[in-house]
Amino acid sequence: MADKAKESCLVCQIIGNKIPSKKVYEDDLAMAVLDVNGANPGHCFVMPKNHYPIIEQVPDLEIGRLFQVSNKISSAIFESLGAQGTNIFVANGIPAGQTVAHFAINIIPRMENDGINLQWQPKQLSEEEISTIELRLKEQTKNIGNFEKHDAKMQARKPAFLPDKFLSEDEEEYFTRQMRRVP
Amino acid sequence: MAEQNISPEQIKALQEKIKQMSPEELKEFQKKQCIFCQIVAGKVQSRKVYEDEKVVGILDINPANPGHVLLLTKEHYTIMPQIPDEDVAHTFMIVKSLSNSMLRGIDAQGTNVIVANGIAAGQRAQHFMVHIIPRKDNDNINFILPQKPMDEKQIEAIGNKLIAGLQGVEKNDAVQEKAEQKGSSVSLDEISRLMGAR
Repeated sequence: MADKAKESCLVCQIIGNKIPSKKVYEDDLAMAVLDVNGANPGHCFVMPKNHYPIIEQVPDLEIGRLFQVSNKISSAIFESLGAQGTNIFVANGIPAGQTVAHFAINIIPRMENDGINLQWQPKQLSEEEISTIELRLKEQTKNIGNFEKHDAKMQARKPAFLPDKFLSEDEEEYFTRQMRRVP
Repeated sequence: MAEQNISPEQIKALQEKIKQMSPEELKEFQKKQCIFCQIVAGKVQSRKVYEDEKVVGILDINPANPGHVLLLTKEHYTIMPQIPDEDVAHTFMIVKSLSNSMLRGIDAQGTNVIVANGIAAGQRAQHFMVHIIPRKDNDNINFILPQKPMDEKQIEAIGNKLIAGLQGVEKNDAVQEKAEQKGSSVSLDEISRLMGAR
């Protein structure tokens, strides 16, 4: 399954140089390319070289590296493209707007009135709802810590909460179609 | 976030004052003004869902969805380029864990992670933070990323500018050090000032 997903993954093919791209950064774990159809000129993707669909599957060590690279690209966007701002944006999972089954970080140069909207309408919650959520989150976050340097098991395991359709071959094809816009 | 009513004269005087400050004074000044530093210090109430020696996660009082968390650095940074590499890694390892907590604990089907650097990017507070937003199908959130195609020439030109820029960034490995030098060519100081003077 993992190999099959990798074979049909467009991002993996970009990383493997089977699909041409404009690379702006590469190291042993990460690669960054220009999105040629980006939200603004200079929009970049930072991606792990290993195939992980969502952030939960990316080992901690690689998370650290990927966001350090993202931060450097964001700095370079300020300095060499004269951007007035940058957004770091991740869509994790289909309901969050993820269209490609390979974890990626968007680095988006921003100018005033550039037509990009990453705002939201605040939702009103009751005191009770807020307290319930606070408790349920705390129940989970008390286990945070002991970061892995490298967790091989995690890579192979499909997390229980990952929707099946996310990794089905149909979905992979859907992702492939979506990525055709990358030359 | 906290909008203050101050006259144009006061703004001008403030901007003059800010211009005269050393980077250390500026940081101290921003810290005193910053509501999020007060939240971190526990002087302003919040609902903390996570805390360690470097970061604090609180529930956003204006959430995009129930469970929307703001992850704040305890240290006062205005924008992400000022944060040392080591702390960037730690912060986003916690972001991953918080995203995981949302999937497991509050039935989120996905998450968005958003950082806004600068007013043009939608930043409202003068304290660096990461938004982690739990998502569900049909939750009425719609982030709009338009598509602006580039031609071959543009791709080459912009890509090469970025590559050169990155080499510059790496040379000055700690970008924040450069930003702290007075009169450096980096506009980060200026962006930081603009955020502070809002």
